[in-house]
Amino acid sequence: MTEVVTKQSAEEAALDERQTRPKNIGAKVKRTEDPRLLTGRGTYVDDRRTPDALHVAFRRSDHSHARILSIDVTAARAVPGVVAILTAKDLTEATPVHAESRMPSYYATPIRALASDKVRFVGEPVVAVVAESRYLAEDACELVEIAYDPLPVVTDPEAAVASDAALLHEEAGTNVLVQREFKRGEFETEMFAAPVRVKGRFRFHRKTPAAMENRCYLAEYDTGRDELTLHSSTQVPGIIRNALSEALGMPGHRLRVVAPDVGGGFGGKASLYPEELLVAFAARRLGRSVKWTSDRMEDLTATSHGFDEIIDAEMGLDHDGRVMALIADVIGDVGAYSIYPWTCALEPVQVVSFLPGPYRIQNYRGAVRAVATSKAPTGPYRGVGRPISTFVTERLLDMAARRIGVDAREIRLKNFIQDHEFPYRIGSGIVWDRSSFTDCLLAACKAVDYEALRRRQAEARSAGRWLGIGIASYAELTGIGSRISVAPGMPLNTGTETAKIRIDTTGGVTAAFGVASHGQGLETTLAQVVADKLGVRVEDVRIIQGDSNAVPNATGTYASRSTVLAGGAATLAARIVRGKAFKAAAHLLEASPDELVAEDGRIYVPNTNKTTTYKEVARAVYLEMGRLPPEVRGELEATSTYDPVLGTTTSSTHIAVLEVDPDTYTVRLEKFVVAEDCGKLINPLIVDGQVHGGVAQGIGAALYEEVVYDQQGQILTASLVDYVVPAAAEIPPMHVVHMETSSPAIGGYRGMGEGGTIGAPAAVANAIADALAPLDIEINELPVTPERLFRLIEAAKSRTGDEK
Amino acid sequence: MKPPAFDYIAADNLEGALSALSAAGGDGKVLAGGQSLMPMLNFRLARPSVLIDINRVPGLAYVEATGSTVKVGALTRHHALEMSPVIKTHLPVVAAAMQHVAHLAIRNRGTIGGSLSHADPAAELPMLTLLLDARIGIHSPRGRRITDAGDFFVTSLVTSLEEDEIVTDIEFPKPARESGWAFEEVARRAGDFALAAVGVTIDARDRKCEQARIGLMGVGETPVRAHEAEALLRGQRLSDTLLDEAVASIRSAIEPNTDLHASSDYRRHLAGVLAKKAIRDAWRRADGDRQ
Repeated sequence: MTEVVTKQSAEEAALDERQTRPKNIGAKVKRTEDPRLLTGRGTYVDDRRTPDALHVAFRRSDHSHARILSIDVTAARAVPGVVAILTAKDLTEATPVHAESRMPSYYATPIRALASDKVRFVGEPVVAVVAESRYLAEDACELVEIAYDPLPVVTDPEAAVASDAALLHEEAGTNVLVQREFKRGEFETEMFAAPVRVKGRFRFHRKTPAAMENRCYLAEYDTGRDELTLHSSTQVPGIIRNALSEALGMPGHRLRVVAPDVGGGFGGKASLYPEELLVAFAARRLGRSVKWTSDRMEDLTATSHGFDEIIDAEMGLDHDGRVMALIADVIGDVGAYSIYPWTCALEPVQVVSFLPGPYRIQNYRGAVRAVATSKAPTGPYRGVGRPISTFVTERLLDMAARRIGVDAREIRLKNFIQDHEFPYRIGSGIVWDRSSFTDCLLAACKAVDYEALRRRQAEARSAGRWLGIGIASYAELTGIGSRISVAPGMPLNTGTETAKIRIDTTGGVTAAFGVASHGQGLETTLAQVVADKLGVRVEDVRIIQGDSNAVPNATGTYASRSTVLAGGAATLAARIVRGKAFKAAAHLLEASPDELVAEDGRIYVPNTNKTTTYKEVARAVYLEMGRLPPEVRGELEATSTYDPVLGTTTSSTHIAVLEVDPDTYTVRLEKFVVAEDCGKLINPLIVDGQVHGGVAQGIGAALYEEVVYDQQGQILTASLVDYVVPAAAEIPPMHVVHMETSSPAIGGYRGMGEGGTIGAPAAVANAIADALAPLDIEINELPVTPERLFRLIEAAKSRTGDEK
Repeated sequence: MKPPAFDYIAADNLEGALSALSAAGGDGKVLAGGQSLMPMLNFRLARPSVLIDINRVPGLAYVEATGSTVKVGALTRHHALEMSPVIKTHLPVVAAAMQHVAHLAIRNRGTIGGSLSHADPAAELPMLTLLLDARIGIHSPRGRRITDAGDFFVTSLVTSLEEDEIVTDIEFPKPARESGWAFEEVARRAGDFALAAVGVTIDARDRKCEQARIGLMGVGETPVRAHEAEALLRGQRLSDTLLDEAVASIRSAIEPNTDLHASSDYRRHLAGVLAKKAIRDAWRRADGDRQ
């Protein structure tokens, strides 16, 4: 019963339908975790009270790139309450962790708990002070004296590519940590032949996930057993367990990583961090529990950043607006290290993988270089690469539409991959399964009343107002299985998920998974699936997740995978458990298992008075030895592992309606509509919430958020005064339309947690360009801050001589 | 992000606070709402040896109208000012501006005296005192002194307060009769410090501007009054030409800083368009709406 299942038969799916009366999948079930989280009774890592825990403060690099000459901790060590001060020299027995990859020309930078020899970004941990309180640790931190020999900063990714550029990692011999190229078709000749060509240099500036809860790590160490439990605000407890095992040389059965309630991640908590290594190492070294809670400045400077790309792209089209070729060169500014386990290739390579989008673009070349710079490492951030690829492709389509004189909606309809063409392999090699590319666009246009809106825009324009409508369509690969995850050759391949479902002696259902919800409501979603597939109530099911001990391979929650994979695994395991319970129930009811139906915890033969309950069955199986023969007294438990192999295609169209104030040049979003196809909906409330949150982050990326380093590599956005995250007042009313094209995955689900961030930046950029079309302004750089708009508009006005 | 060690004194009365501050010899900080001070402590940008908490000092939180003035105690919270019927009646421009001050949680704690003493050039309260020719009451062990708002703000985050002085009250002259007013602000987000903001009051008589006050913030090291533009408007009827002249005067009079959020040029542009709208609206309230 332990083989990995890749699909279910039609008979198996039919069995579920015959034997249960599903009531929860598709229902707006209120999130069961919310009463706890909204009334302050959640338990985040920092809430955990461990007696005698020691506290860590890090002395971090204030240099962008420098050699460490000496570290003097004498004065710091004399501060009362200081227990230990650790530098790289104290960590020689800790093995550096490498994010390996089979990609050609890739260099895996060593990841250490503390900088040794060199520092490579402002904020990199150099010295760890361990003290009785965080206050004392910070006092002592100030007294640490570090002598640096400054090295040339590497802040400009284009300059860093040059052969004579200063090297961040000398061993690599270059700052280009990886390069890749995807080619398909006659891209050069088709581009040359294209009667309409639009191109631009697009710049997506660096962002940071800025989760509400800062990262927090607490290592509890049992000296007698040499066992270590790391409580971590992570999205990936099993992956961190693997890394710690490698770094500390400890087997997994004495290492446990627990992610309790986690206050948002957005990818920023999906990688291994030096602070995580340090806390675990220090606990074992000192034989004490050790805790570190990031403050907001540390979060903004040392949590993985993302979305930092320069894209030179050109699109060739025929006179009707059909795309003939797309060519793009991408530079990804990936920061100082290649993050574990995803590698620094993750985002830049995704940009070129997804540039062709949901369109029939067979002549394609996408080349990418991931360039190391002396800035914080980049890692996964909600949307990963696709917000950038969507921005570029959707902008090029609008630029072309304007050039040709065709409407923004029409040019997309002309180019979408059509329903009869699925499965469809796009220019980069990604294969789309059938999803509502065209229908999402039509539904979004209908929801926003597109024609009326265009009429309103014409009226507004004649009154001197700058009203803009922006469309962005995209497709994303979600719920990926083994075949996709194996491609980049990372240190571990994800692609499977395990459900372990158990009914105990009281009839209680416990379902354990390897996922790690950090705000997505998976405790509710997965309980809905388990409840329906067993035939019990949602409140009868307890979901265990966020714990490396829950299942052998608990990788976590990332990449819009959890509902597709865990939902599938839950369906498989629940079916087995239900089968076991039905066998026992059949004995009790003197019926055939085939006659039985489970509903709300009851098991009965329809249209008879033969009825029992899961509770009674459990009691008979476990506690009443006389009632059932031994062969049906097996434990009511099953473990199933699901692998969707390729994964699922999720598609969407976003439409933004906004006005640019012709005096202040500020942007006011009026309305935002999303039509999305995430397959079968399990919980429409949660899907709406995920869309809303993702769109809010996408609006942040479009208008507000930017991590800024100066030319010396100092970070200027180290507080939330300067790193501008939108709040409720900045987010317009949203309307979400659901298309439910069933997917090939078990249950017909598609992943959808990231999508909001993918479509919104492009939709907002297109809307602003549309609003400013009378001034002939294109938007090629995000975020579009008021300052950038000021410069664009003033330049356009001086171009046209239209002085205000 | 924890502050270094400091002593803490909770003063029971003004005399106690003043003597503790004096005893600190320049190394003490007054804690009122703490909305600027606590972050500065946590960033270790301020390292006082002693904090003197004045939250228990009685008689410093009030908003009251006298015959010719509105007096506000220094310990009055922003939210109290925002909701005060006295302010709504007599100083509507203040009521309008208060909605731009940070967020409710901050307005619930932050105090008027604290905002003035902190003297952020992009904050609303300092500009309002300057705009309305308020007088600021200050106590020290040497007694009480009163200063004009115009003399109080020296440069960014610097005031004329001596190290043993505490702001205790602010006195706004009550407009002699209903005057027109307007407040316009642009910030990156609702509640952020202004990229630029303009407050205007206009007294009109016989369809002419008798007196105009124009205050700006976020466009220099301190809040500023646009005296030249005020003079241009005085005694005139408002016209588009006059408005353009006033805007040009304002733009040439200011020297805004460039920072992460806006350049000097954009701030100057904003100051102009916001002033234009504010002057027009204030004029309409002073003149048009009542005629």
